[in-house]
Amino acid sequence: MTTYSIPSKQRTFLLAGIIIGVLSLVGSWVFDSQEFHMRFWTNFLHNSVFFTGIAFMAVMFYAICNTAWAGWHTQFKRVWEAMGMFLGVGLILMGIIALGVVFGWHHLYHWADTPSVEGDDLLQLKSAFLNKAWFLVSIALIGVWYLFAIKFRNRSIDEDRNGGFDYKHHLRTRWWTALFLPVAAYSISVVMWQWVMSIDAHWYSTMFAWYSGSSLFVSMIAFTIMLLIYLKDQGYYPNVSMEHFHDLGKFLFAFSIFWTYLWFSQYMLIWYANVGEETVYFKTRQDDYPLVFWATLAINFLLPFFILMRNDTKRKFGSLMFASIVVIFGHWLDFFQMIKPGAVHTAHELREGHGDAVGAIADHAGAHGEAVGQAVEHATSTFHMGYTIPGLWEVGTFIGFLSLFLWVFYAYLGKANLVAQNDPYLSESLHHHA
Amino acid sequence: MRKFNKEIVFGLYDDETDLLKAVKTANADHLDIYNVYTPFPVHGLDPLLGLEESRLHIAGFIYGLIGFLTAFLGMTWVFTKDWPIIFGGKPYWSVPAFIPITFELTVLFASVGMTITFYVINGLGFGVTNPILHDRITDDKFCIAFDTHEVSEGTAQSFFEATGASLVDIKNI
Repeated sequence: MTTYSIPSKQRTFLLAGIIIGVLSLVGSWVFDSQEFHMRFWTNFLHNSVFFTGIAFMAVMFYAICNTAWAGWHTQFKRVWEAMGMFLGVGLILMGIIALGVVFGWHHLYHWADTPSVEGDDLLQLKSAFLNKAWFLVSIALIGVWYLFAIKFRNRSIDEDRNGGFDYKHHLRTRWWTALFLPVAAYSISVVMWQWVMSIDAHWYSTMFAWYSGSSLFVSMIAFTIMLLIYLKDQGYYPNVSMEHFHDLGKFLFAFSIFWTYLWFSQYMLIWYANVGEETVYFKTRQDDYPLVFWATLAINFLLPFFILMRNDTKRKFGSLMFASIVVIFGHWLDFFQMIKPGAVHTAHELREGHGDAVGAIADHAGAHGEAVGQAVEHATSTFHMGYTIPGLWEVGTFIGFLSLFLWVFYAYLGKANLVAQNDPYLSESLHHHA
Repeated sequence: MRKFNKEIVFGLYDDETDLLKAVKTANADHLDIYNVYTPFPVHGLDPLLGLEESRLHIAGFIYGLIGFLTAFLGMTWVFTKDWPIIFGGKPYWSVPAFIPITFELTVLFASVGMTITFYVINGLGFGVTNPILHDRITDDKFCIAFDTHEVSEGTAQSFFEATGASLVDIKNI
């Protein structure tokens, strides 16, 4: 019946992290000369999407386990319940982005700029979905997820107090989780198109929602492993054994390969079909963002694949911890290269004036190369911090959001018993054998 | 029929929990078990018998690597040296197009190689018949076997009686 309490040292640590994040956001707003404060807004969007998505994935995996009658995770299901509570903060963060879209505070989304859409046939066609109303719907969807997350958590906590041998709580929660799954599966796709894919408004890929979603899922599993190792190190969760870590390690390994599969499928089809409006996406990234583009593949596939391939590396804290840290950074980098190039391009087009810049799609590759070139003020290298690779403001913002995420996580983790009581699967989880 | 020239005394148990208990007793009494036969994998039996982790997966990795190299280098040779053809305006050496086939051959080599290795090291395969101590080991009984050179028949008999074996027999294989 232990509950978690944040050590004061760690509280200070997280607070310092949040302050670093705020300073980095302010710094990227004030000291950076990128047009329309694009560096601030891309960083803000990048980290908001990343951490909101991780919280969502925790809720979704919780629902999947529950619907599938799985029992192995029951001991530490409070970790996922607490992670899901970050959706409330995510709602505020993405709400700020949405207000920016509605009131024109930023120019992250090309389609939100009325003069650009008027001169662009493709954006006019897409305006049925890519418009401000739909963006607000996507924000409302976070609210729906959040309500489900609260529902799951409240029922689980109520089970601690009032649960009995009729397992009413559990059966009812299963009904709710089963209802959540179709909602979650459809809405995460819509949300990913709206938040991330529509930054490159002309481009589209039917693999995109899966691809970015698997990125978030891997990060969520990596976070779970890190947090459990940390909590065990603090003396909590004595019954979470190597068997549980082995299973989490298998998820980390398998879904890293799944991510690679989707990454490659998206890449190869576009490469092979060679349609200009699709290939421009990868052309930009390979020419102007080569380090980030290839590094994500190496970090997110090769490292976890070779580190976690063996049985015994999935059962050791050292290798699991290393793989988790590497993979979280890799998927954060992956989101960087999904968001940054399109936003830089949009900034360029807006500066050049509306109309002529959005002409022939085939010109976009060239135009975009120029955009980056001009943005870095004709620097000779394609490696320019904050434009084509993350710089210090980016890292600082990441630290800030990470600290905020952990703060919210620990705060909610401390509010309930660490191990859920009266869950019918608790005993199975305590005796789990992989 | 393969011959091992061994005289085996064995007992059958009805339940895997009985079997696990009996194996623990045998370990405590320092009786050297010749082998244990079960109709399905019994959880927790391997560490009791002191079996090492299988090295089959290492062989699997090597087979996979051979498959990977065969596919990738093979296609590289065919499409750049032996018979260069332009497909859809792509370069001769188009790595992304090679990857699906490389993946398939990696899986094929690893799985087929591991299956053959498994059969060879276990003495299984076409035309091989192995002696079976009792038919019901393949159905619903769990068997502990002692080599009479290691454990005398009398000791084994009393051990089986004490641990509740439902049938005890002796057989030359």
